Amino acid sequence: MAILIGGAMVSTETFFSSCKSDAKEAFFTKEDISLLDEIGETIIPATASSPGAKAAKIGEFIKIYVTDCYSPADQQTFFEAISHVKNSSQKKYGKGFLKLTIAQRQDVLTELEKGKPATVTNNTKPLAGSGDAIQTGKSDEAKNKLKDTPNRYFSMLKELTLLGYFTSEPGATKALRYVETPGYYKGNVPYVKGDKAWAT
Amino acid sequence: MGNINSKGIDQNTFDAIVIGSGISGGWAAKELCEKGLKTLVLERGRDVKHLVDYPTMAKDPWDFPHRNHLTLKMKEENPIASKCYAFREDAMHFFVKDKEHPYVQEKPFDWIRGYQVGGKSLIWARQTQRWSKYDFEGPARDGFAVDWPIRYEDIAPWYSHVEKFVGISGNKDGLDTLPDGEFLPPWEMNIVEKAVQKQIMQNYPDRKVIIGRCAHLTQPKEIHLQQERGKCQARNLCQRGCPFGGYFSSNSSTLPWAAKTGNLTLRPDSVVHSIIYDEKKEKATGVRVIDAQTKNVTEYFAKIIFVNAAALNTNLILLNSISSRFPNGLGNDHGLLGKYVAFQNYRGTLSAKIDGFLDSYYYGRRPCAVMMPNFRNVHKQETDFLRGYMVFFSAYRSRGNITGPEQMGEAFKEAKSEAGSWQISMMMQGETIPKETNQVSLSKDQKDQWGIPLLSISVDYDDNDEKSLKDFLTQGAEMLDKSGCKEITTNDSKQAPGLDIHEVGGVRMGKDPKTSLLNKWNQLHACPNVFITDGACMTSTGTQNPSITFMALTARAATYAVNELKKGNL
Repeated sequence: MAILIGGAMVSTETFFSSCKSDAKEAFFTKEDISLLDEIGETIIPATASSPGAKAAKIGEFIKIYVTDCYSPADQQTFFEAISHVKNSSQKKYGKGFLKLTIAQRQDVLTELEKGKPATVTNNTKPLAGSGDAIQTGKSDEAKNKLKDTPNRYFSMLKELTLLGYFTSEPGATKALRYVETPGYYKGNVPYVKGDKAWAT
Repeated sequence: MGNINSKGIDQNTFDAIVIGSGISGGWAAKELCEKGLKTLVLERGRDVKHLVDYPTMAKDPWDFPHRNHLTLKMKEENPIASKCYAFREDAMHFFVKDKEHPYVQEKPFDWIRGYQVGGKSLIWARQTQRWSKYDFEGPARDGFAVDWPIRYEDIAPWYSHVEKFVGISGNKDGLDTLPDGEFLPPWEMNIVEKAVQKQIMQNYPDRKVIIGRCAHLTQPKEIHLQQERGKCQARNLCQRGCPFGGYFSSNSSTLPWAAKTGNLTLRPDSVVHSIIYDEKKEKATGVRVIDAQTKNVTEYFAKIIFVNAAALNTNLILLNSISSRFPNGLGNDHGLLGKYVAFQNYRGTLSAKIDGFLDSYYYGRRPCAVMMPNFRNVHKQETDFLRGYMVFFSAYRSRGNITGPEQMGEAFKEAKSEAGSWQISMMMQGETIPKETNQVSLSKDQKDQWGIPLLSISVDYDDNDEKSLKDFLTQGAEMLDKSGCKEITTNDSKQAPGLDIHEVGGVRMGKDPKTSLLNKWNQLHACPNVFITDGACMTSTGTQNPSITFMALTARAATYAVNELKKGNL
């Protein structure tokens, strides 16, 4: 597999000898949070109009989310992804990810991303006020696809970044339009390409 | 059993007792208190006061540690409740903790409960439609269940009565399959919904596509201002409790109104063990209550009792109300109590995409969808299954799904921040046929922490449900296809009954005491000072969201009860 670049593949047993969540939280050192901040910032950088994932404290969010919401299998995938990023930086550039230039970071993540596209996102939004959210039943199917494609590592990091960023205060209020209390509903307002989407 | 409070019988005596403070119990309380009855409302859960007890109502997405996603712990601790779409960080405190409220699943059934003052009226989906004459005529015409003892004409004035107070938004569509109500201005459809509506109605002249009808104040009237409720702000965060009182709940509306009369006594933390039947007087005289916290037992007395504990809980209470007159549960002379429980079929969904319309967007978060009243077997039996289904659908723009080759960086971020292409989601709300074999009963050996037998639920889908589901998926796909949609996918969630949260029956209304438990006024045939007006009373399920019908039946029965009391008949 092209993704398994040399260097020590960190054994999953290290992380899963105990299944207690505090063992996994302990894995998230300050350095790991910083790494996740920078991975996130590479995916969603600061731009002229809005801050990036780092300002949204994406590393901290990912720590909480992976610890509390991910199944053990997905947690394993996540830790493998982080290892790959670390190993790839060293192998290719002889430095840690944090010391790479933006172009080099993108390169490391792009290599992680190469492979068959993973169609994991469940695009279906809950049916507004119909009576129940629609369960497409696709999430299991999607998860299996996630497991089988080589770039599941990048997909996972990307999805975590997107979720954490666009529900964060800077993301929702600056990159998107967040209207806490709309006041009314209008079915048809003009939209021009480039207009920001509603945050919620 | 703990101490029985035999002193102070006077202070425990009321004109009326209402069991349950949810969407129908709140209405019983309002009507009875308004008519001058000293009314005790018993709620098994904790108090939840409007505004004061809505801890998440003003929170932003980033205020939730998991951004309103479920954690593994939530799912582990609440395997049933966490299946409900509304069970998230922002509203899970309005659901029961599964561990505290076990029940027996003889067959898979996801029983979703909200035990607090206001019950599920805090977290309901607020969709409201009147039954039509076709719905009341269904059992008699198609030969299932028993004939309803009432018809649309009997309940129509009561729909009007409750709709005005509740505040119902809707459009006067002039359809006999879904009668118009007392409406506040309707919500709008977006451009794609209008396009699909036009196509469907052109391609299928007998099928109607209309805007949803819901319990939201699009334009408060004087009566709503008197309730201190204001205009719905299109936030669609209703399950948290609303700072504006924009949607209807017992907490924002009927309970404070009842309290204003000075006739209401509300007792939270009151688990009802049983209804007390006096063999000599040949009537129910009161209710046995176990305090939820202290487990002390207290008896309360009243001339009339309304049982509004929610469909299956009401069944449980009646089954547990044993006396020598009623060894099988209060009113249960013919073994029917707990039987003919039914639900609504929610298994089918579709999703689709549609090109174009990229220069249009919507503003605000509309609290209802577009709907299609049932178009199957309306005037006569036409398909290979009985009855039909309501269809709901909505169109929306997925955020950021139009991206280029980049998977990270500035251009990627910009693309992800834009409104994407249009998608459509469609679901069914299918009528199911009540059957004797779908039933609830008391566990013979297991009890809850209050010493009350666990409810044992044996409810399942049948062949009619499978055929109805199949028809919905076929018709849905065809309609979307003819409307210019593509990538249409159909799905059977295979969910257990229960997640519809529209379970009804077990104490059905009917003309004949041998084949029903309640008469046309929702009185137990065999114990007329006990009224059941929550979902338990339903003889059939219809395709409509049921709560507005519960409210109308309650207001009607409460008015009747008070008149009977005044005449000395109760």
